[in-house]
Amino acid sequence: MSESPRPPREARDIMESAPPFLLATDSVRDAVRTMYMGRAGAGTEGVPGLVVLDAGGSLVGLVSQHDVLRAILPAYMTMVDLSEFAWDEMLGEMAARMAVKTVGEVMNPDVVSVAEDAPLMECVDLVVLHSLDCVPVLDAAGKVVGVVYVRDLYRAVAEALFPQEA
Amino acid sequence: MGTESAVAGGAVTMDAAFWVATVIFLVSYAFIISEKIHKTIVALVGASLVLVFKILEQGEAFHLEALGVDWNVIVLLVSMMLIVILMRPTGVFEYVAIKSARVGKGEPFRIMVIFAVVTAVISALLDNVTTVLLIAPVTLLIADALELDPVPFLITEALASNIGGTATLIGDPPNIMIGSRAQLDFMQFIYNLTPIIIIVMVVFLGLMKLFFGRGLKVRPELKERVLRMNEREAIKDPVMLKKSLAVLAIVIVGFVLHGFLGYQPATVALFGASLLLLLSGTKEPHHVLAEVEWPTIFFFIGLFILVGGIVKVGLISWLSTKLLTATGGNLLATTMVVGWFSAFASAFVDNIPYVATMIPLIIDMAHQLWPDLQGTALLHHPDLMPIWWSLALGACLGGNGTAIGASANVIVVGMSERAGKRITFIRFMLYGMPIMIITVAVAMLYVWIRYFVLGW
Repeated sequence: MSESPRPPREARDIMESAPPFLLATDSVRDAVRTMYMGRAGAGTEGVPGLVVLDAGGSLVGLVSQHDVLRAILPAYMTMVDLSEFAWDEMLGEMAARMAVKTVGEVMNPDVVSVAEDAPLMECVDLVVLHSLDCVPVLDAAGKVVGVVYVRDLYRAVAEALFPQEA
Repeated sequence: MGTESAVAGGAVTMDAAFWVATVIFLVSYAFIISEKIHKTIVALVGASLVLVFKILEQGEAFHLEALGVDWNVIVLLVSMMLIVILMRPTGVFEYVAIKSARVGKGEPFRIMVIFAVVTAVISALLDNVTTVLLIAPVTLLIADALELDPVPFLITEALASNIGGTATLIGDPPNIMIGSRAQLDFMQFIYNLTPIIIIVMVVFLGLMKLFFGRGLKVRPELKERVLRMNEREAIKDPVMLKKSLAVLAIVIVGFVLHGFLGYQPATVALFGASLLLLLSGTKEPHHVLAEVEWPTIFFFIGLFILVGGIVKVGLISWLSTKLLTATGGNLLATTMVVGWFSAFASAFVDNIPYVATMIPLIIDMAHQLWPDLQGTALLHHPDLMPIWWSLALGACLGGNGTAIGASANVIVVGMSERAGKRITFIRFMLYGMPIMIITVAVAMLYVWIRYFVLGW
C-alpha cells in the first residue's frame, strides 16, 4: 500500500459514484421502484433518496422516501386531524393514486448540493439544516457525480469513534 | 356634527370634497374587484386617504357609527372568531361531521343532505368560512372512503353554507352589518329570515337531488368503512368541549334575549368569548388572538371609513335619489330591485363592501321618504322593513352565483384543488347560478307575499 489508510474527510471519499437518478417527468411509481431496488446487491436494501435531473442532466431536485410518504398522505388529513378515521386499505389506495403523479410534482425542488472536496462536516450541516436523506455531489462543471447518503455519513461518525472496528 | 339626518336627504353640492371622496371610493373599489392588491390593503389605503384629505375628521371616522367604523360589527366578528378558535381544537366539528356520515349509513345522497343541513345550521350560528373549512376535509375523507367524486358534495356544502348563513343576524357579515345599522335584533332576523331560509333549503335540496341524485352509487363494502368509523375518537379535549358548548349555549340564549335585555349583539359575543378564554385556562392568549382573521377585521375598518367618506360628501344621497326616481317611489318595485340587484352584484363582487355601501343608501332613502321620522321609528318603518330583508336575502343568497361570490365558495374551490379535484369557474356556476336564481326568486316571492300581500 503506497498510501496509508486515512479516515474519510471529503464528500468524494464516501459518496456513491454514478448514483441512480430520476427525471422530473418520470412517474412516482418509477421513483419508488428505483429507490426500492437501489443498492440491491450491496447488502443494504433500497436507498432513501434520489437525485432528480432534467433532460440536460442538470440537478433540479431531490426525491426521498419521506417525499413519497408525504405524497400519499391526502391533503385533507393535513388540514385537520383525521388520522383516527383511516381504513385498512387506505394506504394501498392512496399509493395507487399517487403513483401516477410525476416525480416533479412530489420532489423537493430546493436544490442543495456539495462539491466533491466538501468536508464531511458540510454534508452533515446540510443534512441537518434541510432534513435531507442524501446530498448530491457536483463536479466543477455542475454535473452530478455522486450522492452522499445519511447512512454513509453515519458510518463515518461510527468509524471516527471506533476506528479499530472499521 | 354629521349625523344621519344632517348628511341625508339634502341637496348635494358637487364640490372638491365630493369628487375627491368619489374618486378614492371608486378607485378603491376597482382595486378590490380586480384583486390586484389585497383588499385589506386597498381598504386601509383608501380609508387613510379619506382622513388625509379631511373628507372625514378622525373623530367622525373612529367615533361616529353613521360615518365611520361600526364597532358593534367589529367586536361581534372578533368575538365569534375567538369562540370558534377556542372550540376548534376540541374536535367537535370533526365529531359532528363523522357522526353525520354514519347517520347517513354510507348512503351518498343521504350523506349529502345531512352534510348540507349540518353545514347550513352551523353557518347560521358561526361564520361560513370556518364551517366549510371544518366540514370540507371530512367530506374529502368520506368521499375517498366511498370512492366517490367529492366535488358535488363540496359544491353542495358551499351553497348550503351561504343559504344557512342568511338565516340569522350572526350568520353572515352582511346580516351583522344590517342588524347593527338598522338596529334589528337577533329575533327579528329569526322571525323574518329563518322561515324563508328553511323553505329555500328544501327547494335547494330538491334541486341537488335533481343534479346529483342519480350518479351516486356505492358498493356495500365501502359503506362499511364509514360505518366502522368511531366519531368519539375525534374528541381531543372533552373538558374544553363541555366548557365550549356551555359558553356557546349562553351566547345563543344571549342573542335570543339581547333585544329584550337591551344588550347589543357585540356585548353578548364579547362576554362569551372572554368567558371561554378565561375557562380555557390558557396562559398564552396571544396564540389564540393571533388566529383571529385580522385581515378581514381591518378590511371592515377600512371599508367603513371609505363608505363614510362618500356618505358625508353626499354621493350616497345622490344615488338614493336616483334609485327612488328610477322606481318612482314605489316601495314594492324598490324592494324587488334591491333584492335582485343585490343578488347579481354579490355573485360577482364581495357582498361585504356592497352591503356596507347599500346600508347608508337605504337609510338615506328612508330620510327622503319620511323626513319627519328619526331613530327606530324611521329605521323600522313598516314600509322599509321589506327592503332590509330583501337586501339581506339578495346579498347573502347572491353569493352562490359564482365560485368567487362568497368566501365559502373560494375556500371550497381551493380545498378541492389541493385534493387534486379542480372545480372550474364554469363548473361551479353551472350549479351555483341556477341555484342562486331559483332561491332568490323563491325569497323575493316570500317577501312579496309576506310583506306586500299579507302585510305581516
